[in-house]
Amino acid sequence: MSTPRALQPFATIGGAFLATSEVVGGMGVMFGRIVSRLVRLSFDRSELLRNLYKMGVKSLPIVVVTALFTGGIMVIQAAPLVERYGAHGLLGWGAGFGTLREIGPLLTALMISGRVGANNTAELGTMVVTEQIDALRALAIDPIGFLIVPRFIGIVTTLFLSTVFADALALFGAAYAGRGILGVEPMVFFNGLTSGLLGLGDVFHGLIKSVVFGMVIALASCQFGIATSGGAPGVGRAVNSTVVVSAAGIFVLDYIVSFAIG
Amino acid sequence: MSADELNPPESAVGHIDEENALHERTGLAWVGGSVLDLLGAGKQLYSVFVKTLYYSARGVPQPGAVARQMYEVGNKSLVFLCVVMGFIGMILVFQAGLQAKRVVPDLSLLGATFLELLVRDLAASISALMLATRVGAGIAAEIGSMVVTEQVDALRMCAADPIDYLIVPRFKASIVMTTMLVIVAAGVAYLTGMWTGYAFFDINPRTFVNMSLVDKGDLTIGLSKCVAYGAAIPVVSGYCGLSTFGGSEGVGWATTRAVVNSSLAVIILNFFISGAGYLIFG
Amino acid sequence: MIALEGVTKSFDRPVLRGVNLIVPEGCLYGLIGPGASGKSVLLKILVGLIRPEAGRVLIGGRDIFQMSDLELQEFRKRIGMLFQNNALFDFMTVADNIAFPLRRLFNLPDQEVQERVAERLAVVSLPGFEERMPSGLSGGQKKRVGVARATVAKAPIVFYDEPAAGLDPVTSQKIFDLLRAEQRASGATVVMVSSDLDRLLTVTDRVGMMYRGSLIFDGTTQEAKQSKNPYVHQFVHGIPEGPL
Repeated sequence: MSTPRALQPFATIGGAFLATSEVVGGMGVMFGRIVSRLVRLSFDRSELLRNLYKMGVKSLPIVVVTALFTGGIMVIQAAPLVERYGAHGLLGWGAGFGTLREIGPLLTALMISGRVGANNTAELGTMVVTEQIDALRALAIDPIGFLIVPRFIGIVTTLFLSTVFADALALFGAAYAGRGILGVEPMVFFNGLTSGLLGLGDVFHGLIKSVVFGMVIALASCQFGIATSGGAPGVGRAVNSTVVVSAAGIFVLDYIVSFAIG
Repeated sequence: MSADELNPPESAVGHIDEENALHERTGLAWVGGSVLDLLGAGKQLYSVFVKTLYYSARGVPQPGAVARQMYEVGNKSLVFLCVVMGFIGMILVFQAGLQAKRVVPDLSLLGATFLELLVRDLAASISALMLATRVGAGIAAEIGSMVVTEQVDALRMCAADPIDYLIVPRFKASIVMTTMLVIVAAGVAYLTGMWTGYAFFDINPRTFVNMSLVDKGDLTIGLSKCVAYGAAIPVVSGYCGLSTFGGSEGVGWATTRAVVNSSLAVIILNFFISGAGYLIFG
Repeated sequence: MIALEGVTKSFDRPVLRGVNLIVPEGCLYGLIGPGASGKSVLLKILVGLIRPEAGRVLIGGRDIFQMSDLELQEFRKRIGMLFQNNALFDFMTVADNIAFPLRRLFNLPDQEVQERVAERLAVVSLPGFEERMPSGLSGGQKKRVGVARATVAKAPIVFYDEPAAGLDPVTSQKIFDLLRAEQRASGATVVMVSSDLDRLLTVTDRVGMMYRGSLIFDGTTQEAKQSKNPYVHQFVHGIPEGPL
């Protein structure tokens, strides 16, 4: 049954809407299943530890590099403004609020989505394509409890800790970039940070976001991983979907959370 | 058959056991080993880049290939990018407005400052990060699948250098489309930012639309970033795709590596171009 | 004429250990051996896709790894190859796939290219398939397109890597018969790797058996079947117990 040409745009929009709903709905269902197993503590602990180690350790270099460069970039971007208004004392504040509230959680989430989320989808996708998931079921092992829940916890934890680490590193990088580029002494920078214009609330603002982003990445990557089909190209497509959906989800939720908690 | 039978690797390049490789090096050896790996990969990446440039000028012409890739890169990323940049516009103006109100009561320059930042950095860099995921993953997945199904070998058999045949069209397409997409994205972000300024801070759209702070330097920096990112993403992801090994697993890893490395490339390029821009234009 | 001298190759472990092999001209040579004995790697070295650590590969008397780029181009014109998984370019039509070596390696007019493609498709019993896409073909059909692409340039040397992998018995036999007929008609030198022993031995002139990276047997098909070598005997006759 084909749509008449005049209605084609509507069909496309409608199709996109349905596809999006499917993805979001699927993620919601998966979230429900994960929560029910979390509550019952029915997940595999050694898998959890293995995943935490693997995700955390392997992401470390990326987080470090990203954070340091980001700190530098922020100072470079703020430099003309600071010069224009002579606001050297405010550099700490400016870099601080940008990093803690937005850039820190956002960039860390994007890099982790690539490093950990894509990796996760690739692993799960390969397991599906090589029938290992079926094998687990045949052995009466619950794939969600065994595979998904540990990865979910792993990703959220990894992103949370990485964000904390990245925030600190980015500010550190910014402080020294500030000295190098604008001649702002690190002490002045530090004072700007803690002067009272920024508070613990800003720190928590960012951390809450990191948890939310972590959940998005985890749900998207597990969802697309488990639903892989079509051999090697299928795994590639699944990874593609994961990164795209994670990125979109991160930005949408960034807006919602920013607005919701001010 | 006895237990120590040889198993030929699935691809011509050999198989690296990631898990074991990680456990073999500890401490200083790990750092040193990682640095050496990185340098080796850097050398290869550089050679791929140089070859790409060479073949861009002197390669075999492929009618229609660049156009097809432009469609892949451009049309398919447009909606995604607009959605993301739309939200970015809103978030940035919202956050900046909130903070600025704590310090400076007058928000009339918010629009102008926002536009300057968009043109100079944010539009290009954030769009590029998004494209690095979307386009980078796509390129690596396609090329990786071709490696794994021996299509790349078949190309070499017919004297078609994979870099010439696969990467160059994507390279040319990406530079053009990235620039165009960034311009559109900047527009979208500015519009949503304007709406946010009006809805939350009562900033008159007329006041918001203020181009006075954007100068030649900002435009140059912004455009250089578009070109640099547009060039980097296909080269890095193409390289990751071509160095795939290990069957369908390998395609997954290659795609992951492409996303991570393209994103890193964007961030590092951003740092250097921004730095140079600041030094040159102030 | 193809000659291998002392070809050695390792990846993480040794895969080929000093292989010496001669394939006479016009011979249909079967390369057999248990899994993981190095057959596919050997084939890829023969076509220059992998470089050995030691040893030489002489084709028509020239060492292929000492060739300049221009000579390599000429060399590739004389070789056809069928890959294990067909390696059809899935973004091109069947006709473009088959025509690809012609277009890249030779400078033939379009008319002639089309004629050759049509002729090849007829020979592999797929007439009219020019505009089809590889993703819409069955396993057997893809294999036959692969054969068409490997033979379209009328190359004097052709390599087939597992030409009947994953095909049903009837289709397998048809493919082997087709390859045999092709070789007879063109007089090409053919090296064929296959695990389908019985069918392979019905078409080969000479056979070489690989085991753990070494060539442990090289002789005519008849000699292979009657060999007293315990490894060869066990493999050729498919006996479960024995040294393998």
